[in-house]
Amino acid sequence: MNAVNSAILDASTGWLVLAGFSVLWIFLGWYWGRNSDELDDYVLAGRRVGMALGTATAMATWVTSNTTMAAPQIALQMGVWGMLGYSLGAVGLLMFAPLAARIRRLMPGGYTSGDFVRLRYGKTAWRVFLLISLCYSLGWLVSMGMAGGVLINALTGIPYHYGMTVILVICVGYTLLGGFRAVIGTDFIQALLILSGLLLIAFLAIDKVGIDAIHAAALEERPELMNLLMPAAIMFLFNNLLFGVGEIFHSNVWWSRAFSFREGVGKKAYLLAGVLWAPIPIVAGFVALAVPALDLNVPAADMVGPMVAAKVLGTTGAVLVLIMVFSALSSSLDSLLAATSILVVEDIYRRHLKPDASSAQLRRATGWIIVGLGVLTWLLCAPRITTLAELLYFTGAFVASTIWPIAAGLFLRNASTMGAIAGMVLGSAAGLYSYFAIGFYVAALVGAAVSLVCVVLGMLLQPANFEWVNLSESRPEKEGQAA
Amino acid sequence: MTISSAAFSILIMCALALVVAAPLILLTLLVRDWRSKNLW
Repeated sequence: MNAVNSAILDASTGWLVLAGFSVLWIFLGWYWGRNSDELDDYVLAGRRVGMALGTATAMATWVTSNTTMAAPQIALQMGVWGMLGYSLGAVGLLMFAPLAARIRRLMPGGYTSGDFVRLRYGKTAWRVFLLISLCYSLGWLVSMGMAGGVLINALTGIPYHYGMTVILVICVGYTLLGGFRAVIGTDFIQALLILSGLLLIAFLAIDKVGIDAIHAAALEERPELMNLLMPAAIMFLFNNLLFGVGEIFHSNVWWSRAFSFREGVGKKAYLLAGVLWAPIPIVAGFVALAVPALDLNVPAADMVGPMVAAKVLGTTGAVLVLIMVFSALSSSLDSLLAATSILVVEDIYRRHLKPDASSAQLRRATGWIIVGLGVLTWLLCAPRITTLAELLYFTGAFVASTIWPIAAGLFLRNASTMGAIAGMVLGSAAGLYSYFAIGFYVAALVGAAVSLVCVVLGMLLQPANFEWVNLSESRPEKEGQAA
Repeated sequence: MTISSAAFSILIMCALALVVAAPLILLTLLVRDWRSKNLW
């Protein structure tokens, strides 16, 4: 993609900002991870994360390219319901709170969401789940890598491929050096930067244009944005709710946090993170609704966020915006790199290829996988084949089908393997069909509905009688010694 | 049916208030965890 003419920062300023923050994140990654030699320290921060860092990491990770790029884009396409629909992504965090407490209690030595599915439903369901989870992780990684390139290009004129490469290299670098401690430590700082930047843009938009003027201009030029009965937008609202729940319930990004939090922290941290996250897409969406009032010509829908920010903030302020969005993308990319790497190491490398691997071998493999994921993401980001929202919602068909197998499997003894497998396979297929036949805004809705029917039928036709104690497993060192 | 200007303003102001409170809450928790040595 070419540099946009509307970039208000010159490329040299952009490079300076990126270099400064890159050095900071890399240094912090090295500093926090310098003693993380043990596997549990490296991939789960020693399983002792407290409330402050726990809340901030859940919140910052969920503020992704969604918030900085796709939420404004959706608001500009679907108006008020688009904003509110995005905000319902918080329901996923809120609903995961009791699950986090239960996961920690039932699986004190667990590493991944794959561990749970394997132990709860057996190997076939586990492999189906892994396929879904890895596709989703890759989709999310690619959407954020692309967001980095698009955003940096929109703000500074730095070519898409350069910006995308920088953000991937930096995130891989500090995640590799510091492991999960680097991820959650930087997440806290990034959460503060994101919130500050968002507030700055919103207050300046209000100061320059005013809420009433933004409302009036949108009503005059794009009245559909203020329409409370826009059918596609209302479907989007429910679809996004289920998409968010599906993303969080199945993804190892959130399970690894549940494993890493200190006893008693998980439930409270996820609840608070949900409450604090909910208003962020509303504020980000509001900024996008200022487009008609600002008389902006947006060349591509996924550029609307940075373009509005650039318009209301001017050169100096745009530097702050660049920092904010760099933080938003980093906080999610690092989390996803860390969580996906342990998913690959635990569920593929250890469970499929090297069952007697020692803790030290798994620790080294995690590093290599982080690098490999970075390279793969770069290769998939390079062609920039679709817009951010399209890519993101494509994965909705898959993830929503995992909601009921996960939730029922954690709380109901009679949730069956057959129901879980059918729920994930048929739910994904139905979600994908609806994605292409109807639209992206119904994929998760259909996937979750079909999956629910399958899980309920499975419990009625072939009920299991699962013993919760079977979820507790020994850690790698012991297995290595036993072998 | 469109959202009224008043309702739109209330929605945005409430969201902004929560976004203002968030960093203050996080920093307060950080200090508390730091003092009780429960940071990580």
